[in-house]
Amino acid sequence: MRLFVATCGIILFSISGCSQERPSIGQASDAVELTYWPAPNAQEVQLADSLVRVWNRLHPEVRVRMQPIPVSQSTEEVLLAAIAGNTTPDVCSNIWPGALHDYTRAGGLIPFDRLADFDSIITSRVPRDLLETFRSTDGHYYQLPWKTNPVMMFYNERLFREVGVATPPRTYSEYYEAGGKVTRDIDGDGRIDVWMGERDIRPIWWQRLFDFFPFYIAASGGKTLFKNGEPSFNDADAVDVLGFFRECYGRGLFPRTFFQGGDPFLLEKKATNFSGPWEVAHIQKFAPHIKYGIAPLPVPDGHTGQVYTSGDFKNISIFANTKHPREAWEFVKFLVTAQHDLLLMEICDQVPVRSDLLNNPLFADYFRRKPVMVKFAEQAVYSRAVDSAPDLKEIFDAIAQEYEMCAIYGRKSPEQAVRDATDRAQFIVEWNK
Amino acid sequence: MRGRWRVIEAVRKSDRFGFLFSLPYVIFFLAFVAYPLIFSFVLIFHRWNIVTPMEWIGLKNFERLFHDPLFGKAITNTLTFLLIHIPLQIIIALLLALLLNSKVKMRGLFRAIYFLPVVVSGVAVTILWQQLYSYDYGVLNALLKAIGLPSVPWLVDASWAMPSVAIMATWKNVGIYIVLFLVGLQNIPAELYEAASLDGASRFRQFRHITIPMLNPTVIVVVVLSTIGGFSLFIEPYVLTGGGPMQSTLSGMLYIYNQAFYFGHMGYAATLGFVFALIILAVVLIQRRVIETEPT
Repeated sequence: MRLFVATCGIILFSISGCSQERPSIGQASDAVELTYWPAPNAQEVQLADSLVRVWNRLHPEVRVRMQPIPVSQSTEEVLLAAIAGNTTPDVCSNIWPGALHDYTRAGGLIPFDRLADFDSIITSRVPRDLLETFRSTDGHYYQLPWKTNPVMMFYNERLFREVGVATPPRTYSEYYEAGGKVTRDIDGDGRIDVWMGERDIRPIWWQRLFDFFPFYIAASGGKTLFKNGEPSFNDADAVDVLGFFRECYGRGLFPRTFFQGGDPFLLEKKATNFSGPWEVAHIQKFAPHIKYGIAPLPVPDGHTGQVYTSGDFKNISIFANTKHPREAWEFVKFLVTAQHDLLLMEICDQVPVRSDLLNNPLFADYFRRKPVMVKFAEQAVYSRAVDSAPDLKEIFDAIAQEYEMCAIYGRKSPEQAVRDATDRAQFIVEWNK
Repeated sequence: MRGRWRVIEAVRKSDRFGFLFSLPYVIFFLAFVAYPLIFSFVLIFHRWNIVTPMEWIGLKNFERLFHDPLFGKAITNTLTFLLIHIPLQIIIALLLALLLNSKVKMRGLFRAIYFLPVVVSGVAVTILWQQLYSYDYGVLNALLKAIGLPSVPWLVDASWAMPSVAIMATWKNVGIYIVLFLVGLQNIPAELYEAASLDGASRFRQFRHITIPMLNPTVIVVVVLSTIGGFSLFIEPYVLTGGGPMQSTLSGMLYIYNQAFYFGHMGYAATLGFVFALIILAVVLIQRRVIETEPT
């Protein structure tokens, strides 16, 4: 028994000894320390590193510690785990609007609109109608719109030129027509060598953020999946979109297979790719020889007006766990100054959410050097974010299942698939209320 | 109070070192087995997404489960997988074990080769098979084409996808079962074969009337382990197909994972897990009843 007690004593002593060695946050020093989590990709880490160095030089009394978001399947999982474990950073700049509801329901974020000069800062930066789409259902703003990556159509100019397609297709009919020419077996071995397009055929929910969702926004003139907190996509636009992808697979313009050995757009095995501005840096790095163009997403025949798309917005939030909300807000304002937005474009080739992008002289030189980014800057104004609604992933999963059934394998009509997806979405919303 | 002192007294009198040495496992068991089990059971009656407080919802998770078409689909898919995987596993493992139990050259090398896939990462193996199975660009279809056969839609056709997953899982795990069968074969007394030979029994009759009955306990172990392993089918569909095409490879575990970690329905996922555990128990009991026979 004595041995047992002695052993327990040694263990407890060791544990307490270890804990005494940890520095206590409160006792460390008088300087405020903030933790900042940027996205973990190389460019954004580089940007964050540069910005934090400048901040720390200018503000020795408020030190910022930059740590890329811990790598996991998704940022959202990491942030939810951090909220649950009370280990959130003070500031994070990779907030996906679709997950915002989960964070706010858990009381994890600070409403920006309670901060003194939020209104003047935000209205000078973001157009009012776009800003409204980021307001949460409780009327508060928990996110500061930071950057957008409008999903557009990249097309391979050489592959188009080879078959006499002079201009990128604007409508579904034009897309089918161009696709009929582009998709072909070049070497006569019985296998298609160039496809018009390609999408991951697995029913993975987030894949629909790059096909169904932006195409629905485009077809509907800017509508998203929810209206007044209820799923509202049971309409002709959704049927048109599913019908479009069903035709692409049905006509053999898209392969029902997994591509192996690399990105088929970079390998010039597909002529079009629906992607965001990050693709520009990707092409420059891995396939600089490719001559490509960028165009708005194809829309249903007879569509009039501006072509909208999904913006794939990533925003900035301050976590409720912070002990220094005022200092955190000062740091956020520092991140979104015009100079730092320029740095965001220079390093990451991503588009900041600001209305003066194309008329502020500060950005003129960048756009002159990278004319391809002008397209994205023009499209940014006509971008929409995902709804800040609960259970969005589950609803996208329901859409992914119906998309697969209807578009890829042609087992359901577009009308039936849209009806079933909406019913399922309605069930999910009801269940989770 | 008196009872508690009696227990403490009993502990004091017994071998103290024994208790001390068992302490790490007891702590491990309490933290990683008992606590999660009890917590999962509590979750069954709650709605919880990890970050918000738990909400008591009674039997609503069960109500949802019985109206959930994907749950039925996941069960059917898992049983389909087991129906293909278990017989395939037993036949291939037994045949290879018989070969490796005979006097072949470089037996040790072959044993190591067959065991190799078991120790390779599941994700790496799955990515490798994804390349083999690719419809347009895969090695398997290229081979089929070379001998004049049509391409097989391994992973892109609902009726082919689960058999393809089962073939891959069998290839990955067969090494373990070869080892089990080898142990079983080496435990069969040689006198039985000698006596049978003296009685004029052919090699096939010896196999039929000695080897098979004497391997019965091993077969039970293999079937039970394959069944439990089969019900845990996750990495293969997760990486290979994402549960498609048309949910044909959505396994029970994949569905539970999606509900828990994609959608944050911890309570519903716990309910699915609980029902799955009951199904596994029932299937294993039935299997034991069917297979378990005394060697005669």
